[in-house]
Amino acid sequence: MPATVVCRKLCKVYRQDSVAVPALTDVDLVIPKQDFACLSGPSGSGKSTLLNLIGGLDRPSSGEVEVDGRRIDRMRKGELAELRLHHIGFVFQAYNLIPVLTARENVEFVMQMQGVPARERAAKSRQILSEVGLDGLEDRRPGELSGGQQQRVAVARAIVSEPSLVLADEPTANLDSTNAEALMQLLRHMNDEHRVTFLFSTHDKLVMDHSKRLIKLHDGRIVGDERRR
Amino acid sequence: MRATLLLTLAWRNLWRHTRRTVLIVIAVALGVWSMVILAALARGSMEQQIRNEILNLTGHVQIHAPGYRDDPVIDHRMVPPSPALRAALDDPAVTAWATRVRVPAVVASERESAGVALVGIDPEGERGLSFIPGAVVEGRYLAPDDGAGLLIGRKLAERLETGLGRRVVIMSQDVDNAIADRGFRVVGVFDTDAPGAETAFVFVTRAAAQAMLKLGEQVSELAVMTTDRRRLDALTARLKAAAPGLDVASWAEAQPLLVVTASITEVVLYIWFAIVFLAMSFGLVNTLLMAVFERTREIGLIQALGMQPRQVLVQVLLESLLLLAVGLAIGNALAWGHLAWIRDGIDLSAFAEGMEMVGVSAVLIPQVEARDVLGANLLVLVLGSIASLYPAWRAARYVPVEALTRV
Amino acid sequence: MITLRLAWRNLWRHTRRTWLTVSAIAFVAALLVFLIAIQLGAYDMMIDTSLRVFPGHLQVQRAGYQDKPQMRASVPAVAAVAERLRTGTGAAAVAARAFGFALVASQDRSYGVQAVGVEPAREPGVSTIPGRVGEGRYLAADDAQEVVVGALLARNLRIGVGDELVLLGSGRDGSMAATVLPVVGIFTTGAPDIDRHMVQMPLATFQDVFAMGDHGHVIVVNARELDALGGLLAEVRALLPAGGELVALPWEEVLTGLKQLMQADMVQNWFMYLSLIVIVTFSILNTFLMAVLERTREFGVMLALGLRPLRIGAVVMLESLLLTLLGLAIGIAVGGGVVVYYYFAGFTFQAMEEIYAQFGLPGVIVPELSFVTLTLGPAVILAFTLLASLYPALRIRRLQPVDAMRAV
Repeated sequence: MPATVVCRKLCKVYRQDSVAVPALTDVDLVIPKQDFACLSGPSGSGKSTLLNLIGGLDRPSSGEVEVDGRRIDRMRKGELAELRLHHIGFVFQAYNLIPVLTARENVEFVMQMQGVPARERAAKSRQILSEVGLDGLEDRRPGELSGGQQQRVAVARAIVSEPSLVLADEPTANLDSTNAEALMQLLRHMNDEHRVTFLFSTHDKLVMDHSKRLIKLHDGRIVGDERRR
Repeated sequence: MRATLLLTLAWRNLWRHTRRTVLIVIAVALGVWSMVILAALARGSMEQQIRNEILNLTGHVQIHAPGYRDDPVIDHRMVPPSPALRAALDDPAVTAWATRVRVPAVVASERESAGVALVGIDPEGERGLSFIPGAVVEGRYLAPDDGAGLLIGRKLAERLETGLGRRVVIMSQDVDNAIADRGFRVVGVFDTDAPGAETAFVFVTRAAAQAMLKLGEQVSELAVMTTDRRRLDALTARLKAAAPGLDVASWAEAQPLLVVTASITEVVLYIWFAIVFLAMSFGLVNTLLMAVFERTREIGLIQALGMQPRQVLVQVLLESLLLLAVGLAIGNALAWGHLAWIRDGIDLSAFAEGMEMVGVSAVLIPQVEARDVLGANLLVLVLGSIASLYPAWRAARYVPVEALTRV
Repeated sequence: MITLRLAWRNLWRHTRRTWLTVSAIAFVAALLVFLIAIQLGAYDMMIDTSLRVFPGHLQVQRAGYQDKPQMRASVPAVAAVAERLRTGTGAAAVAARAFGFALVASQDRSYGVQAVGVEPAREPGVSTIPGRVGEGRYLAADDAQEVVVGALLARNLRIGVGDELVLLGSGRDGSMAATVLPVVGIFTTGAPDIDRHMVQMPLATFQDVFAMGDHGHVIVVNARELDALGGLLAEVRALLPAGGELVALPWEEVLTGLKQLMQADMVQNWFMYLSLIVIVTFSILNTFLMAVLERTREFGVMLALGLRPLRIGAVVMLESLLLTLLGLAIGIAVGGGVVVYYYFAGFTFQAMEEIYAQFGLPGVIVPELSFVTLTLGPAVILAFTLLASLYPALRIRRLQPVDAMRAV
């Protein structure tokens, strides 16, 4: 079984006023299928950059990224969009939802883009929204939902089309501890039930505690990688 | 399915800032309203000029002896229509035709005299062919056997201080170049929208004019009215073949200036369409740009979720198209209502004499032509979409990671 | 001053938006400057050309003659009245005329024409016809027995200089008027009506043929400048005999059609201009509105700092004003530049020349370059945009500091 994510000698250098600022240096990383891993490290250690490179939102300066066995570092914009659509789910720390769509429509958004028939979409979104505990709130727009509810919709959207990989950037940053705990349990549940691979970046101890694996970054390099439990 | 999604997004995004959208919709609606109304008025005015000219003895097709149109005198006369020409005139497209005598003459009352065109007509033949049968407001129209009857315009009658039942003398040159004169009695006074015709013509029967001028059976012109003034080529060709040696001319050939005026009107109209469009396109592009810029994050998000850049482009274009469509719907409805309201015409009698100089009657009846309305709407839709390409392209160009991290 | 600087800086916070809005205003302003200059230039040309050929700036006639030009409605001692006007007013030129209808015949043709008796020495001051004699010469003396005819008439009559013309008409007393006169000149004005239908002869000869005595019908008076017509009209009226027998009519009342044509054209054009201005106003209103809506938070802070809503409203209106003025300035510069170009080059296109030729007009318009043409359109735009900028400015008064600061 191939790994979901493989990074080889991954480097990312940002240019700021003609000064090169290295954000990632020689990162080698393998995320096997159904992993539940967490990137941690201080601000500026390269967590978000690594997540963005793996998600195809940004391009590496050098090195390789493979997702589901496909090299994505040289894909064109359109191919990357296609990859994200079919293989990767995203949960961001805030502004996760499309404000003009209801919770249900947000969840169905990716499926609709994939061309899933309406009936199937409806069934899946109903089931997943119920699974994340949002029964009865399906027709609310993001503005009418609390922060925790919004994050749960985002999670539902990220996993509903059963991607091989879900990337979550500080998913609990805007949540209180009760909501954060609930969200993490939900994600773990998804990981177990739906066999989805998860990769987080976080500062949050709570997220780290729920992870199966903790990868530590410092100044753009991996300085620790441990399995837990 | 994806299309419905894009459409839903576009439509909902459109109404996120209701006030802003409404303002641009108003601009678009006013734009198309002014295009349609202006086109209807310009077409109405042009149509009236052409129709007036056609009814003013021009007809759709006219046949003369060569030289008459340059120098309309008795020397350029022709024999009555031959059997071949009559056969050609027996055509389903021909609704009326008649021959006339038309020569320059002097009309004199006891007190005054004036120069006019003496027109000898076939009273029945003129029905459906020229303005005169319907223009008599005092007295009566000519009867076929009205040997001494004459119709005079109201304005000319006033100037000559003559009127119904009074005698006037007509002088003109006969076929022998001698001055022929003859007394007629005014049996009818006619009134026209365009007062010029009231002083330009006096009408008698064709037989009386032929007798006075020693023309025998000869005539000056033959005028033809058809079902459609826009399709005359075939008929004109047939008439030309049937009347060799005669000058067969359509109204457009007889009044080339009118055709030039009509095409200038059309060009000016379309230039105006473009100008109005430009005026509103600035606002359209500006508003779309605002919408795109303030949604940077969101566009980054949907791209991160896997939407293709071109789908983002399409989404913004759809937003623009929907806005334009709403504006167009309102604008067309507005124009339709407005036109229904002024359907009976706009009273221009305050400018009657000025309008007459350009051949327009005192009441201007707007004329809606499908191609103008269609043209205005298409122009706004097509050029509007092209103008929206810039904001749409800006949106599609966003790199998701930058868009997402920008606040 | 600080308000002004603030407004100016705010304007450039959104460079692209500001430029788009400025372009919209500049586009419409330039267009209006150009169109109005062309329009007024065309009117001037029409008036000037129409009046110069024959009608003159103002006419003295017997009351009622204008509506019903009858032979009997004549002006007694017309030459003497003309002389009095000549010496008693600041007129540039004064000339007496008499009009009659005649049937003219050559060897083999005859036509009804307008016969005009003119003072040969005075006529060049009020009409271009004496100068447009292409063949032969104009009339010589006041009592010369000769005529000049229009070119189209000469062609139709098939006559040339030196041929004799038979004139038949009725005199003022209803008697038969008949004479034979040699043609000494043929004129071409370009106005088909005149070239086809006019015969001129010396006034004394006319009076003789048509049994007019010392009467005439019209005294044409030209001002030095068309703009000075009002004063001249008053002078002329003061010199006319009391009793209202004689009236002085400015050209607008002589050529009523021309005046009305221009009025109708004016109405139509302003309908177009105003709809354009309203459309562009709505089109840019969003910029004004956004300048307020997206700064709600900022205004909240200003309110909290104790600025009065009125003052903030003033800044916002000033922004709109600056924006509009910038657009108008560019518009006037561009539009004015185009007008200046055509002012020297002349504005024309081929189809227009054909149409104008029908009315005897040259097909070239010299746009009017004046303060009015440069500023009238932009001034109307300014009025509309100021009105539009009131709306967002007034919205500020509804702001509550706390709500405003909470807004994102």
